Amino acid sequence: MCEKQFGAFYGPFVTGIDVVWTRGERKRFASSNAAFRGFCADCGTPLTFEMDGGVELAIGAFDDPNVAAPVLQVNPNDKLPFVDGIPSLPTRPVSEKTPLDQRMPGFVNYQHPDYDTAEWPPIHGLGGEFHG
Amino acid sequence: MAEVRITGGCQCGAVRYALHEQPSGPHICHCRMCQKAFGSFFAPLAGVAMDKFEVTRGAISYFRSSDEVERGFCALCGTPLIFHYVGKPRLAFALGSLDEPAKIQPREQFGIEARMPWFGELAALPGDKTTEEDNADLAAAIAHSNHQHPDHDTAEWPLASSTR
Repeated sequence: MCEKQFGAFYGPFVTGIDVVWTRGERKRFASSNAAFRGFCADCGTPLTFEMDGGVELAIGAFDDPNVAAPVLQVNPNDKLPFVDGIPSLPTRPVSEKTPLDQRMPGFVNYQHPDYDTAEWPPIHGLGGEFHG
Repeated sequence: MAEVRITGGCQCGAVRYALHEQPSGPHICHCRMCQKAFGSFFAPLAGVAMDKFEVTRGAISYFRSSDEVERGFCALCGTPLIFHYVGKPRLAFALGSLDEPAKIQPREQFGIEARMPWFGELAALPGDKTTEEDNADLAAAIAHSNHQHPDHDTAEWPLASSTR
């Protein structure tokens, strides 16, 4: 279920205490009658797993994911056979991954920065261009 | 040669797709934009020609994460599905959205400048019990009312009996 929610190999979660939504509201999909899975309806980012009034937060969605390094694996029986080998896979040299704004003149990033903003998207309309 | 047909879709089943060729270059990308798009530590992706990628149910919604890139997802359940350089004839799809994700194994890591410092330690983390072992009643309730689309194509979805 977490694999499908995240379109990935697992869902990285940390328990949220006194969670306050400071902008917008998550949309929720009832993945069963026991749980909801929250996401941003405008861009799709997976945000929560919610059950029994509790909220688990997607670690990759934090401005700094380092605040919640995982300490436990859940449902290890469902782990895809190649997951443990991923950290040892060959890597592309960092030099090939020059930031896009250096590689592509005029590149504009519409992702929200990793800190709170007074206003978003910027007034001059750089963000918020949605298709489909 | 038998026609290739590899299927997948989002969690709720509103979007389903089929690949009509073997995907290329399966990899994970640690870059910060992929992390955010997937709410995770990386995005697992592989490439396919757009004319070999068929949306067989529903429609993919897109967020233009920059002028160069659009990222596709299901607007009803959020599952990240697509990474696409705008105007290019190929796209990349999310490996975890496949019906059989075990069949496409990543071979490379991109974007390692943003790799989480403890990423290499995840495999060694202690394992918890499965939900079935730990909480049989909950596992049974979920199995009984699972609203996730099954890992194969369906003629009709959601089922008429669904309580979604």
